[in-house]
Order: sequence, then structure tokens, then C-alpha cells
Amino acid sequence: LSDYSKYTLKQLNEKYQKIRKENPAEEGEDLALISAEISKRSSEAAGLIRIATDAFEMEHNPDLSIRFLKQVEREFPGTREQADASKFIKRIGIEKDHKIDSLKKSENQLELEFSATGREYFQVWIVNLCLTLVTLGVFSAWAKVRKKRYLYSNLILDGTPFQYLASPMPILRGRLVAAALFLLYYSSSHFYVSLLPYVLSIGAILAPWVMIRSIGFNCRYSAYRNLAFDFRGTYFQALKVLSAWGLIPGYVVGISFGFWGAPWLGAIIALGFVIYFPWWMKNIKTFTVNHTRYGGQAGAFYATGGSFFRVYAVAGLITIPFGILTGLLGFAVFGSLKGSPYLHYILSVPAYAGYVFAYAYMQANITNTVWKNIRLGPVFFHCRLKTMDLVKLYMTNAAGIIVSAGLLIPWAVIRTFRYRVEHTRIYRSGPMTGFEGDRRGSVSAAGAELVDFFDFDVSL
Amino acid sequence: MNPLQQTLPGRFFDGVHPVSQPVGVDFGLDEVAVTGDESTRRWEISALTVSPKAGRADRFVAFPDGSQCQCPDDPILDRLSQEVASEGPVAWLESNVWAAAASVAIIAVMLVLGYVYGLPAVTESLVKRVPISTEMSLGSRMLETLGKSGWFDVTRIDPEKLRAIQIDFRTLCQDLPNAPHFRLVFHNSKVMGPNAFALPGRIIIITDQMIELAQTREEILAILAHEIGHIEHRHSLRTIVQSSLAALVATAVTADAASLSAAVAGAPVILIQKKYSRQFEAAADEFAFNLLRDHNVSPAAFADIMERLDAREGRARPGSFLSSHPATADRMRRARAYGRR
Repeated sequence: LSDYSKYTLKQLNEKYQKIRKENPAEEGEDLALISAEISKRSSEAAGLIRIATDAFEMEHNPDLSIRFLKQVEREFPGTREQADASKFIKRIGIEKDHKIDSLKKSENQLELEFSATGREYFQVWIVNLCLTLVTLGVFSAWAKVRKKRYLYSNLILDGTPFQYLASPMPILRGRLVAAALFLLYYSSSHFYVSLLPYVLSIGAILAPWVMIRSIGFNCRYSAYRNLAFDFRGTYFQALKVLSAWGLIPGYVVGISFGFWGAPWLGAIIALGFVIYFPWWMKNIKTFTVNHTRYGGQAGAFYATGGSFFRVYAVAGLITIPFGILTGLLGFAVFGSLKGSPYLHYILSVPAYAGYVFAYAYMQANITNTVWKNIRLGPVFFHCRLKTMDLVKLYMTNAAGIIVSAGLLIPWAVIRTFRYRVEHTRIYRSGPMTGFEGDRRGSVSAAGAELVDFFDFDVSL
Repeated sequence: MNPLQQTLPGRFFDGVHPVSQPVGVDFGLDEVAVTGDESTRRWEISALTVSPKAGRADRFVAFPDGSQCQCPDDPILDRLSQEVASEGPVAWLESNVWAAAASVAIIAVMLVLGYVYGLPAVTESLVKRVPISTEMSLGSRMLETLGKSGWFDVTRIDPEKLRAIQIDFRTLCQDLPNAPHFRLVFHNSKVMGPNAFALPGRIIIITDQMIELAQTREEILAILAHEIGHIEHRHSLRTIVQSSLAALVATAVTADAASLSAAVAGAPVILIQKKYSRQFEAAADEFAFNLLRDHNVSPAAFADIMERLDAREGRARPGSFLSSHPATADRMRRARAYGRR
């Protein structure tokens, strides 16, 4: 007797046809086994197609549906099931936009409102900043909670504000750990350089842990309608995503230990990473969203690495004309301003403008791409930030902050936040009762604080 | 109405489904009753907690069974025990305009005092604690990095002349307690042109171009004396420590703006750094003039070489808050005044 589970469905079909043709009358054991295997496989494929149909027709979730259909295409090549799946994918492609649009009606939209004011936030900000300075930084944990609480409490979805639940003491503990590690890093990068490779190695080992703790902390202490968010990513999943199976830290640590003899080898690896970067970002977002849970439902992220790549590539192209402009300007004024320190400042104007445009483009389009591709149960998002709006926002923010010697920082924070909220829509394709909560566990703030301290933001 | 007894409109959340049920919340003397469409639930007022105040935003009353009720902010909610007791006084300060005004004043005073007295003092005490061996390895590494990245190459000056300068240099610093550890290094640098600078770990670098620009021995001595001044005051190390501390404070103050504009966060640090740098230059000048006088060299030599440096660069450097060195005219005037004394 042979084992048929190793054959594809297509091969099984062919075998069956062949035996039937050669020997129409035979009712051998082989034939029975083959036909049992065929019907088992067919029902698997049919099951996947049924889930896909439900996801599209009932849950209005075309991306999820396509995911299952693609699985059918992959696992059952050359079969009728594959043909069905391909046909269905085409149909979804045509009907998808219409389907999503039909859901974007006012009755499906959850109203999102931001009720914060610059004046109120100024009072929150200045009092907390003052107390932080007076206590030489100890109060910063309370300051963080107060500021976050204000912003969360004024972000109102469907009549209910978000809740920030973290308390200051764990954050203070986390900050102390982070400060100690930062001091270690600082002294090894400036004074005890022989230690730096070891410190970096420890950092590489800790990084995935920091990432999951940080996302976990932010999720578990964020709540909506008395249900906290949750995050279930594990260390090894984070290691895989964050470091491309350890390649990235291996490379960095390798540099600091001087493993890479030829400089061109390092350059090639670095270039490879630059090209890989959009997929890396995509993987991090996918990891973050897919393991974030609310009311028992996990998020799902559908964006492709290609869509991230397009955004970063265009952002890179935007800087080119500004680079040329800087060059031309430098050529034009170099003679008359040679040796003057002002030359440097004049040339930095077009360079800075290029940076602002590219940054605004990237922010707007990455944000739009990310939110468009997130689903949380029946909830989906739509975000429409515009590059020029953000450029104006950043420029006026910078001007206001400089002119007011920093006093307008809270005003800038609030108007930027408001712009984002006003250009985000949240819809639901089914009732909210699909969410069902359980008890939440607490998580240490240490991970979250490390991310703050090293200014390494992995959040959305 | 009795201020201790009141009814607030609310939205009730059972903690299982994110579905809002409209309720009325009656605050009695020792009891709170939550009345929905179908039933009324009662709790002892002492068993409830309320979320901290945040602006005018709605607050959440938590019940012992894990359910919550969203209520508009009202003074009566402060009768309940607070979820985070330490946030109460802060919330009160945040709602007080005078507290905000006082905060602005206190922050301004603290930043000015910290800038004028605090930062230099903290730097001083930190620098004292850095062992000289650490500083020396830091300096050697910086020297190595500069060489590797093409800032300078091997000196092309006649070895005899270099020997003479070394001997002059040793004579100049022989009375200083740390003199044996001083290192004078010669390098050719087209990139930097005529230049001399001190690195941490008592290393002084002078470029071939500087030696060629000088017309007398005294002028080279004047430059070296200035750099010895930097070394005696450990200015290189101080710059590193001070800029790190300044960056730390600036980051803390402008953290919320960082995501809005990177340039804004960086600006204050650069301005602070330039100011300290000018102070360091002035201190090194002062030290150099005294040292030169002790060795019977007129500080006017310093003015001469500065003048030639400026002439070579085509124009006087502007003396403003953006520059790292004090205005040259100023420095020359002071050098010549010392020379006459």
C-alpha cells in the first residue's frame, strides 16, 4: 500500500483517471484510497473557499477573503478548486471598492471627535514640565501619565473617550531602568569604547523584548468602553520580525567587533538593508497589528511590502530636486560668501525644505497605507492625510515654537493631533457585540520606557 | 439641591461587551444607584473609585464587579475615592491659571540659573570624576578616527624645525604639574588649513599650514599656549559632557515637539553650545596670555597670528551668538593690552 498524502490533488486526480482508463472495471484498494484522499482534499479546499465567501459576503472583508483564496491557489495548483479561487479573486477585485464604499455610509461610521484645546493642554503641559524640572526628572513619570491621560480622555469614539490606565509608579521604575541602561550605553560609546560591542550585543538581544513589552504596555493600559487592548506577541516572533532572524544585529555587532574585513562587504550588506527597509517596516507593522487584540478579536494587517516601498521610493525622489537646488545655490553664492559662516546657514535652507517635504510625504502616505490596511473584527479605518497639509502644519508649528520660545509646543501638539483625527474615519461592518472581553493582566513599564528613552518608536 | 445628592447622566459598560447602555447615576448619602432601562443596581459609595480628572473630559466610575460608568465631570465625583490619589493635586494645578503662570516663571528662572550656574557646576564635578586614563584613551581614539577619515596626513615640515618647536613647547609647559603627559602632534591638513586644537587626554594638534603661516617662534608659542589653556581647563572633555547634559535637558523640555519638527528640538542645544564654546575660548586666551608673560613672550604675538589668520580668510569673522569663537578684534585687543602691561 502506498501513502497518497504526499501527492498533490492534481496528481491524485490524474492517477485516478489513469487507473480508470486502463482498467475501468477494477475496484482495487488503491483506487478506494485515492478517491478517499481526493475527497478529503477537495473538502479542505471547499472549506477554505466557503470561509472566503463568508469573509467577503458577510463580514465585508475582501482582504481576508483574498488571503484564503490565495491559500487555495497555492495548495491546490492545477485543479478546479484553484480555478474557482482565481475566478473569485478576480470578482472581488472588481467588486471590492464598491463593497467598501457601500459600507462607508453614515450609519456604519463611528463618530471620532477630538475635544482637546490648546489652552487646556498648555496648562497641563506647563505644570507638568515645571514639576519635572523642579524634581530633577522624578516627576516625569507623572507628567507622562497626565499628558497621555489628557489626550486619551479627549479622543472620543462614538460618544465614549479612550482611557489611559497606566499609573506613574511602574513608569518611574521603568524610567530608572532605562536611564541606567542609557548611561551604560553612553559611557561605553564615549569613554569605555572597548565595552561598546558587548553593550551593543546585549542591546540586540534585549531589543525584541523591549519591543514586545513596550507594545504590550501601551496596549494593556489603553482601554475603550471598559475593555483594555491586549498584545500577545512573543519574544521569538519579535526577534524574527525585528532582526530578520538575527541578521541585522549580527551585522551591527559584527561591525563593532571588526568582523567584516573588507569595507565593500559591509557596504553591500548595508545597501541590502536599505532596499529591505520597506519590507522590514511592513513586517513590524504586521507583527504589531496581528498580535494586538481587543475584546477577544485580533487585528489583521493586509498591506504589502511593495506599497511601503513605493512610499519610501517617492520620498527619496522628492529630495533630489532640493539636492540639485542646494548645489546650484551653493555654486551661485560660494564666490561672494567664501569663508563666511553664513554660507552654511544659507545652503541649509533648501536642504531643510527638501527634508520637510520628503518627511511630510512619508508621514502622510505611510499613515494612510497603514490604517487603510488594518481591520479589527468588524472595524476598519480610513485615513486621508495630505502631504501639503502636513508641510504647512510642520512649518507653522516650527515657526510658532521658535517665535514663542517653546511656549507654543502644546498648541502645536494639539493641532497636529486634531489634523490626524479629523482626517481619520472609522467604520464598522457588523455589530460591536462581536467583541467580548476577559480580565486583563498587568505588564511592567520597563520595556515601554526604554523605547521612550532611546527615541525608538515602534508604535503605529 | 443638596450638593451631596445628585443625579448624573451616564453610559454604562459591563466590561464584557463594548456596548454603551444609557443610565442615570443617583448619588445618595452612602449609596450610588445606577438605573438603566431594565434594572437598578446599588453600591456602597465607599466601594467605588473614580478616574483622575483630565481637563473637562468625562470621567469613569468603577464598580466592584468590574463594570464602569462614564459620567460628565462633576464636583460630586470628587467624593469618591480616587483611582490614582497622587494625580488629584496635579489635576488641581492644571486647572488653575495662576499655577500655569507661576510654572512659566519658575521654568524660565530654572533654565537661566541652570544654564549660568548649574550646568557648568555639574559638568565640573563630573569631569573631575573622569580618570585621566579614560580621557587619554578617548583622545587617542579621536585622533585615530580623524586620521582615518582623511582630515590630515603625515607632516611635511623639516624635522629640525619640529624639534625646535617641541623644545619650545616643553619649555613653555615645564612648570605645569601635568606637563609630562602632554602630547604635541604635527599633521599636514589641506582640509583644515592653518589650525591648532586640543583633544581630550592632553593631546595638542598643530597643522603644517599653521606652522607655515606663523612668521616668528613667538607666534607658534602663542598658539600652543592657547591650546595648553584648553588642556589645563579640560575643555574638550567638558564640551563633551556639557553638550550631552544640555541635550538631555533640551530633550526633556522639547520632547513633545520632537515629533513635530526635528530642527526645533536641535536649535537650543546648538545655541547653548556656541555660548559655552566662546567662554572656553576666552578662558584659554586668558591662560595663554599669563603663561606667555611668565616666559617673557609678549601676548601681542597672539594678536599678530590672529590678525594674519583673519587676513587669510578674507574678512573678519562676525562676532555673534552664532559663532563659536569670540570676535577676533576683541581677542586681539585683549592680547595687546596684556602685552603692554
